[in-house]
Amino acid sequence: MSAGVVVGYDGSAGAKEAVRVALEVGKAYAERVVIAFAYELSPVGGELHDYHAALKELATQRLVEATALAAGAEVDVEAVIVEQAPAPALVALAAERGARVIVVGTRGESPIRGALLGSTPHKLLHLSDRPVLIVPVPN
Amino acid sequence: MESASLAEPVARIQVEDKGLKKNAITFLSNVVIGVASTAPAYSLAATLGYIAAVTGLGIHSPAVILVCFFPMAAIAAAYYYMNRADPDCGTTFSWMTRAMGPWAGWQGGWAIIVADVLVMPSLASVAGIYTFSLFGNSNPSTFDVTAVGIAWIVIMTAICYIGIELSARTQQLLLGMEFTTLVIFAVVALVKVYTGHPAHSIQPTASWFNPFNISSLSALNGGILLAVFIYWGWDSGVSVNEETENSTTAPGRAAIVSTFVLVAIYLLVSTAAQAYGGVASLAAHPNDVLAPLGKGVLGSPLDKLLVIAVLSSASASTQTTILPTARTTLSMARMKALPRAFGTVHPRFLSPGFSTIAMGTASTLVYILLSVTSPANLIGDAFTSLALTIAFYYGFTGFACVIFYRRELFKSAKNFLYIGVLPFFGGAVLTFVLIKAIVTYSDPHSGFAKPFLGIGSPVAIALLTIIMGIVFMIIQRVTMPAFFRRKPEVADPALVASSPAGRWS
Repeated sequence: MSAGVVVGYDGSAGAKEAVRVALEVGKAYAERVVIAFAYELSPVGGELHDYHAALKELATQRLVEATALAAGAEVDVEAVIVEQAPAPALVALAAERGARVIVVGTRGESPIRGALLGSTPHKLLHLSDRPVLIVPVPN
Repeated sequence: MESASLAEPVARIQVEDKGLKKNAITFLSNVVIGVASTAPAYSLAATLGYIAAVTGLGIHSPAVILVCFFPMAAIAAAYYYMNRADPDCGTTFSWMTRAMGPWAGWQGGWAIIVADVLVMPSLASVAGIYTFSLFGNSNPSTFDVTAVGIAWIVIMTAICYIGIELSARTQQLLLGMEFTTLVIFAVVALVKVYTGHPAHSIQPTASWFNPFNISSLSALNGGILLAVFIYWGWDSGVSVNEETENSTTAPGRAAIVSTFVLVAIYLLVSTAAQAYGGVASLAAHPNDVLAPLGKGVLGSPLDKLLVIAVLSSASASTQTTILPTARTTLSMARMKALPRAFGTVHPRFLSPGFSTIAMGTASTLVYILLSVTSPANLIGDAFTSLALTIAFYYGFTGFACVIFYRRELFKSAKNFLYIGVLPFFGGAVLTFVLIKAIVTYSDPHSGFAKPFLGIGSPVAIALLTIIMGIVFMIIQRVTMPAFFRRKPEVADPALVASSPAGRWS
């Protein structure tokens, strides 16, 4: 059964817009919206225990923000922290939930800047085995 | 469809552990990380010349490298057990705080920062010199090397800031190339020594590896102090990543394997380099040992492989210097021992952003400061004082382990050996090396550069960093006093009881 919408959220303006669109899609199909914050812990560079704790705190804070955005939406909402690099994390989460679509926002920056700094939507388009909805950052 | 009930949004957030850490980090990856963190090609390039230049050491560099392994392995045992008790990015800072109290702990943390900042000029200048070697310029000016070195620090800091990471496969490939190149270099050099007898070459004898043949204790000591550096980074890399290893694999195998791999490659390359070029040629170019030798041994253009190996190794080493330092200051800030900004995570890149930039900036400033004093070779002296700092904080990590676990020491013979005797032995050896080295290097004629106020410049640099540390600590005590009210702790007995048997046996 195909069910649900997975949306990536990192606190940026594009991500807020993506959550808004994801809620619309979820509402249209009457399906659950799963909001995800993902981060990767690199094994290179030694111990990362309290760095991990700092990331978890940030992730929780972001997801509290995101679920607040969903307040009042007539959709079932879930918030999830995934400990993996963002693009593969969203793909894996969507596969696990059998999601209909993955939604992410852009940062509205040039392709070169995106390539240098790492662009999750770009990676996602190549990795995903299901439709990806890319939401532009509002002007 | 049920409508959203968002009265308790926080409670609904769940952490999905996708098992990345448990499954993706294989045994091979662990060995690779342990070895790559130590950066063998760079460590050799940066250290061999300085070891060979130690007065009275002569042909015994390989013996010193061999001897130094023992206290370092003992300290690794302390790392392993302290990390079990308190897995914390602050490592020595956090452990010394727990075992010996906040004042000692803060100085331990400061020593980590100082060591990491002091190694950057050496890393950057090696990277600069080898970049020029790659393009066929074997004698670049100090200004050019410094410019390239600064660019190197800036780029590597940016990479850590943005959080660009190499995949496990790429790391394995790079390390594989580095190793293959070092082995080819060593084998070809030794074959040429035995068959062609090139100028200045000497044939290895058993005496090279025998520490008892070293003429004076101070020569042995000076050598060990520098050789500590080539093992630096290995301990934390392997003991930490052990935690993430698949539990079905025998614990400790990756640590043991990477140790032997390191010792083997160090002995092989140091022997080959010395056999081919002789002691004098190694000592003559302390900042640049492998590139000139590579030309003779491998010939053009194959010698560029060696240059590339050193550069890729230096990049790994720069990363494994910046990342843990930034995490140490992050940890210190989270324990309220440093201003809050150091504890912040970048909202987009999720790296310890402020800490990373601070580390890069401090390194660049120190590098510029040391370079403008050229041609005095203050970078060489900073390298020596770096070794003093490492000996200090490694030694105290050993003692911290004994103190922290003091109530567990006599509960079993295994406890006594692994958390008592070994860490104490490591700590005692390094403390002895440290004290002896301070006496030796205080001599106004000991450094490469001119003495400051009648003290040899390596010790002068170390003193300066200690004074800075005390000043910063006092400022911190005044502005954020809570941390300094912490009381020392002892280990929870359950930690030792659950320790995997025979890890270091």
